Amino acid sequence: MPSISAIQWKRRGTQLIFLWFLGEFSYYGMFRCPFAVPYVSCANCPVVQCPGRKLWLSFWLILLCSAIFFGRAFCGYACPGGMISQVLGKAALVRGRMKGLADRLLGIGKYVAALAVLYVLFPMHNPRWAIPIRTGEFFHSTTLTFEHANSFWLVRTWFVLGALALGIMIPHFWCRYLCPTGGILDILKRFSLLRYFKTEACTDCNECRNICEIETRPEEANCTNCAACPEICPVSAIEFGWKKRKIPKIEKEVKVAASGRSGYA
Amino acid sequence: MQDGCNGLSRRKFITATALACTSALVPSRAFGRPFERENLQVWSCGGLAEAFVPANKYYEEMTGCNLAYTGAFAAALGKSLLANATTEVFGPRVLDLAKKLKAQGKMLNFRPLCFTRYVLITPKGNPAGIEGVEDLARPGVRVLLSPDSSPPGGKATMVVLKKAGVLEGAQKNAIRLGDCVQREVAIVASGKADVSVVEYRIAKLPQFRGKFDVIDIPERFFPPPPIPFTIGIMKWAKNMELAEDFVKFITSEKGQSFFERAGFIPALSEEGERLTKKYGVKDA
Repeated sequence: MPSISAIQWKRRGTQLIFLWFLGEFSYYGMFRCPFAVPYVSCANCPVVQCPGRKLWLSFWLILLCSAIFFGRAFCGYACPGGMISQVLGKAALVRGRMKGLADRLLGIGKYVAALAVLYVLFPMHNPRWAIPIRTGEFFHSTTLTFEHANSFWLVRTWFVLGALALGIMIPHFWCRYLCPTGGILDILKRFSLLRYFKTEACTDCNECRNICEIETRPEEANCTNCAACPEICPVSAIEFGWKKRKIPKIEKEVKVAASGRSGYA
Repeated sequence: MQDGCNGLSRRKFITATALACTSALVPSRAFGRPFERENLQVWSCGGLAEAFVPANKYYEEMTGCNLAYTGAFAAALGKSLLANATTEVFGPRVLDLAKKLKAQGKMLNFRPLCFTRYVLITPKGNPAGIEGVEDLARPGVRVLLSPDSSPPGGKATMVVLKKAGVLEGAQKNAIRLGDCVQREVAIVASGKADVSVVEYRIAKLPQFRGKFDVIDIPERFFPPPPIPFTIGIMKWAKNMELAEDFVKFITSEKGQSFFERAGFIPALSEEGERLTKKYGVKDA
């Protein structure tokens, strides 16, 4: 097994490659997309400069495939927003404080955001909230978009930027608590084929949580399969691969009783 | 070594020929790209982007200059220009905007650029048998409207329907009231709607080419404001010679061909001249 740092360097390399391919699309979605929900109404979008017109379909297909195979790995290996959160998280001022009830309650935020996005997308048909600057100078077009966007667009954009910026206080604040794509991927990852998981040897020492930049553990909410934790585990209880379904305890006891080896005979 | 009767050596002949060729080439490079590395900022109505983008590329290759082009809803750009924004050349839609900028002394002059027209589009093959604008009120026809789009695509199409006396019927038949023409017409292309009213340029967009049947709407139903486009030099033009040359190119036969290809009526055409007179597009 390669050393942890080697895997992390590979992950950083992957992030840079995806930044190259998705960075501009990501920027346009955030600052130039005229629609309420960016990255989805790209096929006939009037912003002719946006690379999303060519990328969007393959982007969503790759995202879906990655979710089927590797759960939420997109967040840790490819998402430019995740990469920004990671960089900000390096300097996070409040580490390890978001736990227990606060963490669980805030964690619902990303599912609520995902529901809100689905509502805006389907019943509301993804309305246009800004005037599309169809083509223009890179940064100047951004200022024009802000200048001529309606209040909903401005609130949405500042909200996302603010939540991303909060990552400098609480690591990965946006990704953990508010990202709607993260929320949907977090649901899908329950059915993913491959993942990092804890074996029965786990002693709940939380070393993995301490090393994790998103402050989670394998298989739990927000885990992106980033591979930072296996080597740190003192009892080598973190593995990667296909995890067999766990037989519920009660079912196990019934099976044992049926085989006549209950131990109380 | 002497060659021929004029006493010119072969070496001297070759040298002289090479020098002559070089001297002939050098000025042609210099004058062929007269605005090498010069910059010009151009803004226009976003609807013109499909024409301006290739026209600008052609002009850049021809002159060596660099055009910083922005195409967006003209009223928004106009609002910025009427406030504090600046640009060097501006191609607005709606004659009043050009006149207002001229009156403020921000636009130095303007001239007619091109004209738009409204048409009916149906899915290829016209399955609902649409023949004219009155059919939009026919019961059972699935109409697609985008009243909340930017005014030339939204409000203006409502005026077309109102002038044709079918607004109420068309609204009753509307399967969707959208807010972005380019996105909504994909519904017509897919056959989920029978008809929509759009500018002809929309039917000429690359992604929709060949996906619609186009039916003309009589000109008497058109609302005048969104029809003419103009182009003018702004007072902030740093290189006036370049700005003038660019506008001259855009309104030339070659420049106008890009607009015709994108679905506009070029000002430099018989029809364009008629419309110029009809809408009074002249720099007072």
